[in-house]
Amino acid sequence: MSSDVATATRTPTSSRTARPSPHGRRQARAGWVFTAPALLLVLLFVGLPVVMAVWVSVSGWRGRGSPFASGVPFVGLDNYRTLLAGGGLPTQDLGTALRNNFWYVVLVVPLQTVVALLLAVAVNRRTLRGRGFFRTAFYFPSVTSSVAIVVVFLFLFSASGAVNQVIGVLGIDGPNWFADPRGVLHVLLGALGVGESPGALADHGFIGISWWEWLAGPSVAMSALILLAVFTTSGTFMLLFLAGLQNISAEVEEAALVDGASSFQRLRHVTVPMLRPVLFTVLTLGLVGTWQVFDQIYAGTQGGPAKTTITPAYLSYTTSFVDQRWGQGAAIAFILFAIIVVLTLVQRAVLRGDRT
Amino acid sequence: MVLNPSPGRRRTRAAVLAAATTLGLLLAGCGGSGFDDTGGAASSGADSGPKELQVLIGSSGQAETTAVTQAAQAWGTSSGTKVTVTAASDLDQQLSQGFASSQPPDVFYVGSDVVASYAANGSLAAYGADLPDTDDFYPNLRSAFTVDGTFYCAPKDFSTLALIVDEQAWAAAGLTDADVPTTWDQLASVAGRLTTGGRTGLVTSSEYQRLGAFMAEAGGSLVTDGKATADSAQNVEALRYVKGLLSAGSMRFAADVGAGDGTEALGTGKAAMTIEGNWAVGGIASSYPDLRYRVLELPAGPAGKGTLSFTNCWGIAADSGDQDQAKALVASLTSTDQQLAFTQAFGVMPSVASAADGFRRQFPDQAAFLAGADYAKTVPNQAGVSDVVKDLNAQLEGLAAGDPAEILGRTQTNLEAALKG
Amino acid sequence: MSRTAPDTVARAAPRPSPRATRRLPVGGLVAHAVLVVLAVVYVFPFLIQVANAFKTDGDATADPLDLLPLPGTTAAFTTLFTQLDFPRAAMNSAVVAVAVTLGRVFFDCLAGYALARLPFRGRGIVFAGFVAVIAVPPVVLLIPKFLVLNQLGIYDSYAGMIVPLMADAGGVFIMKSFFESVPRSVEEASYLDGAGTFRTFWSVVLPMARPAVVTITILSFQASWNELSHFVVSRSSPDLDTLTTLVATLTSGGAFGQANQYPLKLAAAALMTIPVAVLFFVFQRQVMAGTEGAVKE
Repeated sequence: MSSDVATATRTPTSSRTARPSPHGRRQARAGWVFTAPALLLVLLFVGLPVVMAVWVSVSGWRGRGSPFASGVPFVGLDNYRTLLAGGGLPTQDLGTALRNNFWYVVLVVPLQTVVALLLAVAVNRRTLRGRGFFRTAFYFPSVTSSVAIVVVFLFLFSASGAVNQVIGVLGIDGPNWFADPRGVLHVLLGALGVGESPGALADHGFIGISWWEWLAGPSVAMSALILLAVFTTSGTFMLLFLAGLQNISAEVEEAALVDGASSFQRLRHVTVPMLRPVLFTVLTLGLVGTWQVFDQIYAGTQGGPAKTTITPAYLSYTTSFVDQRWGQGAAIAFILFAIIVVLTLVQRAVLRGDRT
Repeated sequence: MVLNPSPGRRRTRAAVLAAATTLGLLLAGCGGSGFDDTGGAASSGADSGPKELQVLIGSSGQAETTAVTQAAQAWGTSSGTKVTVTAASDLDQQLSQGFASSQPPDVFYVGSDVVASYAANGSLAAYGADLPDTDDFYPNLRSAFTVDGTFYCAPKDFSTLALIVDEQAWAAAGLTDADVPTTWDQLASVAGRLTTGGRTGLVTSSEYQRLGAFMAEAGGSLVTDGKATADSAQNVEALRYVKGLLSAGSMRFAADVGAGDGTEALGTGKAAMTIEGNWAVGGIASSYPDLRYRVLELPAGPAGKGTLSFTNCWGIAADSGDQDQAKALVASLTSTDQQLAFTQAFGVMPSVASAADGFRRQFPDQAAFLAGADYAKTVPNQAGVSDVVKDLNAQLEGLAAGDPAEILGRTQTNLEAALKG
Repeated sequence: MSRTAPDTVARAAPRPSPRATRRLPVGGLVAHAVLVVLAVVYVFPFLIQVANAFKTDGDATADPLDLLPLPGTTAAFTTLFTQLDFPRAAMNSAVVAVAVTLGRVFFDCLAGYALARLPFRGRGIVFAGFVAVIAVPPVVLLIPKFLVLNQLGIYDSYAGMIVPLMADAGGVFIMKSFFESVPRSVEEASYLDGAGTFRTFWSVVLPMARPAVVTITILSFQASWNELSHFVVSRSSPDLDTLTTLVATLTSGGAFGQANQYPLKLAAAALMTIPVAVLFFVFQRQVMAGTEGAVKE
């Protein structure tokens, strides 16, 4: 029994396709056995649920017993129709949820990307001391549970909380953040003199709510949640950018330096274009993640105030688990799935097509 | 490294290990009860061994949980059945999960707003007719839990809204018994006088379950004779009055003063008056025992006195393994003496008329709640109404800046759709 | 992280133009100051959290910015341990997190190795299966996972909380890409010595993957300790409460959820963060390196 390394390296390694040797057969068997547990788990708890959800969304299951029992009727696209074209309360709720999540995405994704990038660039500078401390400080919020952070933010943003006290020093009277349902855009427009909605916008709508409502922007409460999101995810994306930055060859940086470019120009014309792949990843992850925000709503605001923090994910949950309209809840989840898929594909197309 | 001289054994061991893991997973999942479940519940079958009942309640606080647990276990001891009482963190969600998994609790709270939907999907056992003393329940409570002519479950208690006043704040503002408000105008002026720097005269939650009292006082209601009447002139008048108080600053919503509800606002000194129901009595006793307060009937509006009443019933699951024991438990919990004991513990009113005298005798300072029972309106119990009310509540949060007619108009549209379908 | 720093600086020193040299120090100072301010902003909420956990309800509302409550009170913590079943929730969280981590790491390593190194027919399909799974957003699974747990009969049990969380396609990919970087010669040597596949995997290849294994261990523990939505749908009895669901109950109202009881909620949130924080500080480098790799996959 000698492990002859010379012999080992001489033998041609062929873990390629089926060789009738015992070695190959053994490996083939082992291959299946090794992947079986993970595969089974994934099929059972991802694959199977998706199939079940599809059935529930096209069934009239009332919420008692099994959805696969014999008495459960098939209702086709009724649930989807009620949600998207019904015009009643379910449509209005879905529209409100989509509106809320839309503004959340539109604000969180750019903010977290830009903040993460700037943090990464700042932390990456060679002249920085205590880089480890800064990296840790910015990444730590990402380690904590969303529930724990929500608790802290509920406290910080309460009517007499730390945030209002700090901005009170600057003379600004802070709102009662988590209890304020006013849309930020509406507030801004009101300050500019546009108090009421112009007739056209109020009379027509999309998915149950008027265009004026769509243009309300995130509510003040939602804005606090947006800040929470940026706070907790910028650290993770900062790390991604850091990894990307370190891959940028040092010569490129120096060349830019020698050319006399200011740091901002360097950033814009050299660094960012070379970070394109990382940027792509960060944007994709951001989009996919922000459209599914649930934990913070469940633990923090439960959709309030005035339904301005309801999101499709939370609506899917309450429609099924609280209102017992499981079919509708599953349909909402698939509508959300479709949105995410379409957006991801669009984003891929846009960013790939741009490549020079 | 040391190598085992027989690779065959090694290979077998590996395969066995992986197979065992996979098998273990399957076994873990192997409690599957097949697709056609006919209500085999977790609670024991009728014949096997000691019986057990699971009770799920939506508790208003520790006082209620303790009281119900003690009462249920006392019955359990005398009847030889084990009873477990659990306070739900989210009653609707847990019931919904229970029904979907065919393992619901045996006995649970059912609000009058959800009884129709639970009855519709067959989750509730309709045992109302089997109760020993159906006529003892107040008629309007019985009808709150009657769906399509079937009396489903026994009302466990009821509450009405009244005006709860902080006596110290009252005296500090120089008010006396003569100033007790009996009309809307008087309420407005008293609330104004009670509003000081750190304290608002009147604080309530912004939901329909509180502001609806004003609608009742104006003579309006959401549903009349099965038809939607949300946008009636009376309702609009009521909300305009509330909005007036909000603009004057003599009334604020609980969320705006940083309190979870009216009771908390009163107890923490943020409010001088609040509109709450009987449960506030228990809440104040446990959280703010030093508070001295009075309970007054709500002032009369343009159409006279009005208030809202709320009630829950003891639902029994259709999938329950032991409905006879469950019914016996419910009968015990709704008996006259037991209900008076509950009143003592957490301040709700008995749902049986035979307890009315006892209530008046034992709890004279809560007489205002009982007086409200004569003219109280209930929250409509038709299927679909509770969702509309939830939406109304969301809109009412913005009442201070919103338009009552618009709010009620939208509610009217939604109600019409709900009552039709 | 600072591998090339000394070299580059030395090389760059004689070259930059006078214009650049003069600009750098001032810009650098400002940037540094901004960075420090940002770091304070990121750390501050946690300081406030801990400080206010030791105050009374009234003090926390009245003066949240006071970072040194003197004298402090441990009333919030006492309530947590006596009136709320915090210890039980902590135990549940620990049991679930440990079990999920062990399962996940073991299965991910096995599957990752097989996909990287073991030829078997259908390997491509299996790989595609894992890829497809990653594309499914978790929100779609919220409802049906509950239904699957019902069908399997493990709803409202430890099994229902643990087993579904062991399904993790991301970890499989991390391990796969790591194993692909292990030189085949090592394995071949092991086979030549007569070792079986599992033995080769367990005693030879896996030890070489220690950094990646450590990383996914930490990440798995973090993910399962911080998990909320799965525990919401997979259980309902209070005996099975985890720290996340317990804290969520505190914030959503009820007997202990009164708006003013901030120290209680802050104390609960602080305590539940301690284990992941400790793990993070001890294994900082692996966690941060691994996150970059994990997320890139």
